[in-house]
Amino acid sequence: MRSIDDFTRPLEYLSPLDGYLGEITRAWAEREVMPLRRGFDEDWEDHETIEPAFKSLMGELGFQRFFFPEDMGGFGMGHSDYGGVGGFRVCEEISRADSAMGVAFAVMHWPLLMICKEPHVNRRLCAEFAPMFCQTEEPVFAANAMTEPQGGSDIENLDLLKGSTIQTTATLDGDQWVINGHKLWPTNSGGAAKLFGVVCTTKPGSSDPDDFAFIFCPADLPGVTQGKPYQKAGMAADKNSDIWFDNVRVPVWYRAHGPGLDFLYFKEMVSWGNVLSLAFASGAMLNIFELLKEFCEETTFRGKPLKENDDVAGVLADIARDIEITRIVGYQSARMLDRPDLYGDNWSDEIVAKCRAYKCFACDKAVEISGKALDIMGPRGSDRARDIEKHWRDLKIVQLWLGGKQLAQMEVARWFYECETL
Amino acid sequence: MKYQELFPVPVEWVQETDEQMAQTVSQWAEAEVKAGRLEHREDYDTLLEPAMRKLMVDLGLGSMLMPDGSGGGGMTTPDAAVTAVVCLELAGYADTGIGFVCANTLALQSSFAIEPNVEAAVLEETAPLFCSDGLNLAGLVLPGYGAGKDHGAFLGMEYQASCKNTSDQELHAGAEVEVTGTSVRPQCCGANGSLFGIVCGLDGAPALAIVPSTAEGLKASEPFLKTGLAPSINADLYLDGAGGTLVFRGEERTLGLLSWYYMACAAVCAGSLLASYEILKEWGDTRVIKGKGQVFKENPLTAALMGEVAGRCGAIRILVFSLARMLARPDLYGPAGSPHIFATATSVFKQASRGAMLGIDNAMELMASAGYATEWNLERYWRDVKTIETYVVPETCASVNMARHYYGLKAL
Repeated sequence: MRSIDDFTRPLEYLSPLDGYLGEITRAWAEREVMPLRRGFDEDWEDHETIEPAFKSLMGELGFQRFFFPEDMGGFGMGHSDYGGVGGFRVCEEISRADSAMGVAFAVMHWPLLMICKEPHVNRRLCAEFAPMFCQTEEPVFAANAMTEPQGGSDIENLDLLKGSTIQTTATLDGDQWVINGHKLWPTNSGGAAKLFGVVCTTKPGSSDPDDFAFIFCPADLPGVTQGKPYQKAGMAADKNSDIWFDNVRVPVWYRAHGPGLDFLYFKEMVSWGNVLSLAFASGAMLNIFELLKEFCEETTFRGKPLKENDDVAGVLADIARDIEITRIVGYQSARMLDRPDLYGDNWSDEIVAKCRAYKCFACDKAVEISGKALDIMGPRGSDRARDIEKHWRDLKIVQLWLGGKQLAQMEVARWFYECETL
Repeated sequence: MKYQELFPVPVEWVQETDEQMAQTVSQWAEAEVKAGRLEHREDYDTLLEPAMRKLMVDLGLGSMLMPDGSGGGGMTTPDAAVTAVVCLELAGYADTGIGFVCANTLALQSSFAIEPNVEAAVLEETAPLFCSDGLNLAGLVLPGYGAGKDHGAFLGMEYQASCKNTSDQELHAGAEVEVTGTSVRPQCCGANGSLFGIVCGLDGAPALAIVPSTAEGLKASEPFLKTGLAPSINADLYLDGAGGTLVFRGEERTLGLLSWYYMACAAVCAGSLLASYEILKEWGDTRVIKGKGQVFKENPLTAALMGEVAGRCGAIRILVFSLARMLARPDLYGPAGSPHIFATATSVFKQASRGAMLGIDNAMELMASAGYATEWNLERYWRDVKTIETYVVPETCASVNMARHYYGLKAL
């Protein structure tokens, strides 16, 4: 009998830990998320049913220690050649159950990439924050505070604007940075995150990469205020809100790397964000496949199972095709992050553009096939009890985030077509 | 500029009565729905039920097609198709779900209140509900996929229920029948509807029976959660010889009902797209991107996509009004239940619902996270229109129905 494991992955790329990571995460998802996920939409504000599952995965199983060095209690994936494909597998398995949980989980690691990932490990900052994540069985979230009210995702438009539109300022005062600004939409805000990576400028209006700063900021410092979570179409397990920084003071060494390098390595985060978006899409698509297969076997049309009708089978074939391709592309892109010696630095314009392209493709396909699945199911498609409609709602934001589709298109066009004025 | 002026329809088809109705429904949309939307979101008791009551009972949309003599609006000629589209587009503009609920009620009434198919006995039976001071919603039950139950098939789709004659007399409109079906999925209002119009199998042919929610032998499941359409609290029905009233028998009348229903739902989708256009316009006028004060809409890439959204608005509006005109003039185009009108209605509904979905999808892509947040109101239209698209007719069935007519299929 066919299953989701029949969809191809490039086996040569898989982490030696792939089986272990995959089995643990899948068992966790089937035990602690899938039976409860239909109630998550009503829990968007309080996370009373969502939080225990995060606690189990991140705290008790320790997956929040993924990138920290081993000598600090971490899994050491920051200096592994398999951080990309390993992370992809974990996020794929989580997202098969709930892509919002996949996003919240991945974004928890996102700012930590800046300091935990070779070749730019900042051991002092790792040592500072490792206890927060590695010496507890409680789930601890981190967040990237990037997007701002005035220009949305302009901040992620690094090639064109080079940080010139950033309004959140970091001012040096003795041995401290003083942060002021207003951020919108960070995943894991709304009271969830204990640590922010804040995108700031040290000189408002400057397009000099040296003035782009990425500064860590614990959420409990005086002057940090988080708003209430936004209500959204889906993605209940991912809290988003406003964050205000009002004369927030942090030690000067909380800046990730310093002039020029913060800008450079921030681009690496864009690459990783895009590749893991493929994992969110791929995981959800796999679950759509298995749910749709079940529906098409138990439902009849013209006197036979739905899947045995040629016209339906044609659509089902397209759905399987798109899942197959998305999964292969996803693992390929994760492999490219793991092997910069072969494919180029994670922060290079080439890798950023290619990861944008893969993410765009995968998310378009994911949104498309989830819609097709609902269409096939007819009046049963929009039942919350069928779960596919949840994937349909959740996947849309994966397509939209990281600057939206148009920004992704521009970055892809800039690199592949050598555009100079976009 | 109002969307009615921006996206024109052939004005000679719209009568003075339609314009008056449009003004009334437009005022209702602003005062009863949009004004409370941000605060009350999709709260049924606080916002949606009072708004439906105002529209359908106080303003009379829920009894528009019922005869004067019964206390209805008296729009009992086929012309009412255009009036219905005018009103349903505006209802969908305010709230897709309210529009959809109204579409169900009006389509059902069209099957026994519109000339030449006026069924006096059925009018007498239903007028106390539709023309009363209470909010009485109707839900259609249509053929669809099967689940192993054998009620017969129509256009390749299986009936969800069957009905039988309970007397020795020959069946006629208004006759008592018994309806049986398990896990029957209404289009809307399984839990908050007062009656159901059930297309069912009767001796191998389609028939429409009306079953009140209070009928003996009818039970509803607990309401189930769904993607959108909050004004419809839906539940599956279990009918065990439930007592009902026969409205009609035969394929032509069934196709006529479906043509009206597809038109009504297409109008609701058009209204939802037009509302989304306005939300996107506000976004495009006020946002700045790429630094340096570039207004969002002035960027060629975003402008191109905004152009597509607007293009869909104009085209879908014309399509829906054209279909209404065809139903309004059977003397020119043939009866609503003729195969070619049914095929056209199917085509228009699919174009309108798909086009609206694509347009709203594009709007959401342009607004990114804001489009996804409840606060900006767009995401509700996105969920609601998708729900309509899947509910009204499964994609596969619609495609084959069109192919059957246009290519002369014999075997499917």
